[in-house]
Amino acid sequence: MSKPQKSTVKVRRFSKAFVWAHGINAVSFFALYITALPMYTEFFDWLYPVLGGPEGARLLHRIFAVAFISPTFIWAIFDFKGFKLWLKELVTWKKRDLQFFTEFVKELFGFNFKHVRQTFFNAGEKINSIIQIFTAILIIGSGFPMWFPEIFPRAVVQWGYLLHNVGFGLAIAVIVGHVYLSVVHKNSRPGYSGVVTGEVPAWWAHDHYTDWYDEEVAKGNFPEIDENGNPKKPTSPGSKKKKGA
Amino acid sequence: MATEYVKFVDVTKCDGCRACMVACKNWNDLPAEQQDFLGSAQSHAKTTADTWNVLQYIEHEDSKGKLDYLFRHSACFHCTDAACEKVCPEDAISYTDFGTVVIDHEKCVGCGYCVNNCPFEVISLKEYVDKNGDKYRKAHKCTMCTDRLEEGLQPACVTTCHTGAMEFGEKAAMIKKAEERVKQIKDRYPNAMVYNPKGVGGTHTVYVLAEKPSVYGLPENPKVPTSAVIWKDYAQPIGKMMIGATTMAVVGAFITNTIISKKKNGKNEDGGDSHE
Repeated sequence: MSKPQKSTVKVRRFSKAFVWAHGINAVSFFALYITALPMYTEFFDWLYPVLGGPEGARLLHRIFAVAFISPTFIWAIFDFKGFKLWLKELVTWKKRDLQFFTEFVKELFGFNFKHVRQTFFNAGEKINSIIQIFTAILIIGSGFPMWFPEIFPRAVVQWGYLLHNVGFGLAIAVIVGHVYLSVVHKNSRPGYSGVVTGEVPAWWAHDHYTDWYDEEVAKGNFPEIDENGNPKKPTSPGSKKKKGA
Repeated sequence: MATEYVKFVDVTKCDGCRACMVACKNWNDLPAEQQDFLGSAQSHAKTTADTWNVLQYIEHEDSKGKLDYLFRHSACFHCTDAACEKVCPEDAISYTDFGTVVIDHEKCVGCGYCVNNCPFEVISLKEYVDKNGDKYRKAHKCTMCTDRLEEGLQPACVTTCHTGAMEFGEKAAMIKKAEERVKQIKDRYPNAMVYNPKGVGGTHTVYVLAEKPSVYGLPENPKVPTSAVIWKDYAQPIGKMMIGATTMAVVGAFITNTIISKKKNGKNEDGGDSHE
């Protein structure tokens, strides 16, 4: 299928609350990673002067730690519907989710693949979400005894160090893949605008989340589109950009 | 490795004079720490960043219901397998040729990992204020006077001890001495024992205790915390391998995608529309 140009028609995938929650989560995660990096490996000890010495790094780490706790609440408070849909999707696993992974491996390395029909979140995003929830619980839960060792039993503080390490070690490994897919990989990067403006190209949404897209069309929220993403029939003004979830 | 030395402390010979505390403060130039009365003759509850050894005074009721006034010179044990050295993220804690465990204050960032992982709780953070008024912290503990050992001297506390409760010497000889001493005092102290715990690979301060370790507030079976072993020997290296693996995977994906796109002559655009 070769064609000159994809349509620029967009549909709303994420609420503003999600965009903010996701952004704060991303910025604070990386800030936390960088401010702790010299503690993880001496190779990055040169970061200490940049961060204002060990004390400066510690202070920044605690400021971003508080920021890191907030996204869940931002999303849940300001877009409970979207938040609930996310949780519901995370516990819904069907045959299509397993099929997704075999196709995904081909897609990742650039081989021919076919899209397996997915709902609002695809199986890969669901795995990513589940791992990030799990690791965030580990990181935040162990962070408190590390921050306030004087009010926790010694053993809890000691196990806290381990769990903190396991949590961010697993989280960063997954995030490398997550960031690659969103900003580098040619098949998935058109969706990047979803976490910036909340809107994504209609054709891309249709390809990647066909079930969700069709549902929204049935509800009258999204336009029906052809292969290039152009509306099949004239749509009434304003119907293109309605909130999807 | 040079000959291993240990500090042998026979608490049954101690008369509680506290000269070891004074000698330590003197040699290491540590400031006095005024304390409120703690309810006994003991001056400080435990070792601190500025008080590297504390003489314990324990009023103990023995098995016959008699009062025993027990003393113990308490300081860093200089473990053979030291938890503080294991968990230090900056390689600031190291073993010397003498078997002592020392902190390099140039490298220490004051994170407190050693403080919270020491099985004997003898390490503390000291707060400093630099010339700009900014605060920073460093971990402090007994060094076994490693600076004196390097000059062929003995630790200040040992040199000053007037009852011979402390000796510094070659490891095997000291342990033998300790074992013989336990035999000598068994009549008076049936629970007497040599305290040289195996869970930390043995220590470089070896005690003859008159009572069970717990009487002195010491752990019966101290060891490097299991969490610290999993953390440093497994979680950290595996975590580093994992980020390496995912990074390699995405770099690999980027390369194969570039090659395959070139082969297809740029027909495919963003979005990957290889539909059925």
